Amino acid sequence: MSRLIDGSTRLLVQGITGREARMVTRHMLAYGTAVVSGVTPGRGGQDVEGVPVFDTFTQAVQETQPSASLVSVPPAATLDAVAEAIAAEIPLVVIATEGIPQHDVLRMLELSDEAGTVIIGPNSVGVIRPGDGVKIGAIGGENPERAFVPGRIGVISRSGGMTSEIGLTLRLAGYGVSTAISVGGDALIGSTPATLLAEFQNDLETDAVVLFGEPGTRFEEDVAHRIRNSEFTKPLVALVAGEFTEHLPEGTAFGHAAAIIEGDSGRPSAKRKALQEAGALVARTLDDVPGLLESTLTNTQRPN
Amino acid sequence: MARILEHHAKQMFAQAGIPVPEGYPAISPDQAATIAEGMGGPVVIKALVPVGKRGEAGAVQFAEDSRGASLAARDLIGRYIGAYMIDTVLVEERIEIAAELYLSIIVDRDERKPRVVLSASGGVSIEQVAREDPGAMVTEPISMIRGLPEYRARELWVRAGMTGPVIPKLGQLTNRLWRLFVEHDLRLIEINPLFRTTTDDIVAGDAVMSVDDAASFRHPELARFVVPGTDRSWRPMTDLEIEAQRVHELDPYRGSARYLELEGGNIGFLCGGGGASLLLYDHLIEAGGQPANYAEIGGNPTEQKVAGMTRVVLSKPGVEGLFVAHNITNNTQTDVIARGVVTGIRHAGRDPSSLPVVAREAGLHDEEGRKTFEEAGIVYFGERTTLAEAARTMVDAMSSGGTR
Repeated sequence: MSRLIDGSTRLLVQGITGREARMVTRHMLAYGTAVVSGVTPGRGGQDVEGVPVFDTFTQAVQETQPSASLVSVPPAATLDAVAEAIAAEIPLVVIATEGIPQHDVLRMLELSDEAGTVIIGPNSVGVIRPGDGVKIGAIGGENPERAFVPGRIGVISRSGGMTSEIGLTLRLAGYGVSTAISVGGDALIGSTPATLLAEFQNDLETDAVVLFGEPGTRFEEDVAHRIRNSEFTKPLVALVAGEFTEHLPEGTAFGHAAAIIEGDSGRPSAKRKALQEAGALVARTLDDVPGLLESTLTNTQRPN
Repeated sequence: MARILEHHAKQMFAQAGIPVPEGYPAISPDQAATIAEGMGGPVVIKALVPVGKRGEAGAVQFAEDSRGASLAARDLIGRYIGAYMIDTVLVEERIEIAAELYLSIIVDRDERKPRVVLSASGGVSIEQVAREDPGAMVTEPISMIRGLPEYRARELWVRAGMTGPVIPKLGQLTNRLWRLFVEHDLRLIEINPLFRTTTDDIVAGDAVMSVDDAASFRHPELARFVVPGTDRSWRPMTDLEIEAQRVHELDPYRGSARYLELEGGNIGFLCGGGGASLLLYDHLIEAGGQPANYAEIGGNPTEQKVAGMTRVVLSKPGVEGLFVAHNITNNTQTDVIARGVVTGIRHAGRDPSSLPVVAREAGLHDEEGRKTFEEAGIVYFGERTTLAEAARTMVDAMSSGGTR
């Protein structure tokens, strides 16, 4: 797997004429991302911040050769937009939209699995690579450098906001970020933290990865599994939030059938244990993260 | 994951061609007796509450005649199952049962596909079947694109050990259940028990359905069936939770706002975003604090929404402090949060300069945010203070009783 994004990334924004998408496009351009085109059916011929808008993806591909797409359309239109990007054989699709009907997400993931498309999200705040001055999505807002400075630490987070808070923690401790990825806050997402580890394993500019986890899903357990199998061999510092939810009454009594499939794997305490046993460094607070990195990185990898 | 009560779910089953027992809801013992009288045979009386495992909770009773139905209804109506009071019961004809089967369709989030689960032994919880007789359970992921045609459903039932004239009926019913699942954007649909009758018919003994709130915009047909608040299933929504939802829905497209009332506690919790709020809550607990609620605001909410949520958080009796903290924001305007919080505190009839409040708000427009907080007499922290440090400061502020 080559890098998700770098200086050669050419981005298309689906739904570029929307209020949020216009703002995000402005911020991405200011940061240095090559936003080459946008698609909004019915708005072909217009432009947003100087970026040409097309009616269809096919037209945009012919005219501007995008290598990635950011989907910023309403929930009801997202399946169609993602299917359009997959049909155009775009290798990377980042979905910002939150609150997509679950069945639509199932359909788009089935399509992307068949086509081999890499999906980030839904409900992702984006991906940023500070060293190349490129970001896809709202990540970092209009001042990405407040949280993200170039460096050699990878970030994978189930929370968009915590992606930035981790970047900030690293910056204040003298570290920087190679690539930071907000995988999206939903249980059904295209690229899970475990699959994204390959990105960082192969990236010569990443020395270690910081992972932010939450209750529910098997994402953290799957990460532990990859470490145990030596599929990921760089240091990994993990923070899993939400232990308090274990002490609240169980959320859903309808989960009978699902519980069979999922077992008891949603608990933060179990996730921490799995990660620790696999050899990851487990932090209790973000404050611990720089010290844990320092304990595992070699002298040349540490900040001055 | 809002739920649909059994009688409504069975109504949808019947429309989809899935056989169900004849039955009607009753809100009084007399009405239950009248229904049983009309059926003229043994009946089942079931509490209509959005709670699982009703059998074990004694919420399913059997009666031989109308008098028995009246007694059962009298016993059930007014009782609590979990946190839900029974106000309606379902009176159903009793089916002559030869066997109890199991059938469900769920979303398997690991496989990222729907999954059909079926078994020749039902009636008990499927967890028990999985534990005691795993061979009896057959389960397979289903493609959203290719669906679950009858021939595949028949194969699965044969694998589960079924034979004879019920096979085509099971195939057809399973395919109809799949179509219901797709047509209504369901997250879960379960029949347990699924009856094989003494005359080799297949009848749904129960019907559990939960809908996808995110798909409600394209399912007006479900609106009148959905039990509000059942996505948090252990109890009905509290008044403050209903109020918080109302605040959010005044402007549903700008920012997120969630409020969950918890037992006890004295710290009003108003944090965000989704991940940071979980971490901040953990940190308060670790520092010895006692949050009175969990509330999350994010996604650049309006000042009115922040103010309304602040007022709701402070309205819970016993709340003597307020913790407002976020991760460094991407696009959420911290000055808007600051103005909303200060306004909300005043609307709640509290004085921001004497109520213990700790704010940690870094990111967009945080210089203006700092000014607003500090002018109101609120302790403000920016990016140099970590989330854990802010939580400890909040707990310290509570123990010093608000005198700073």
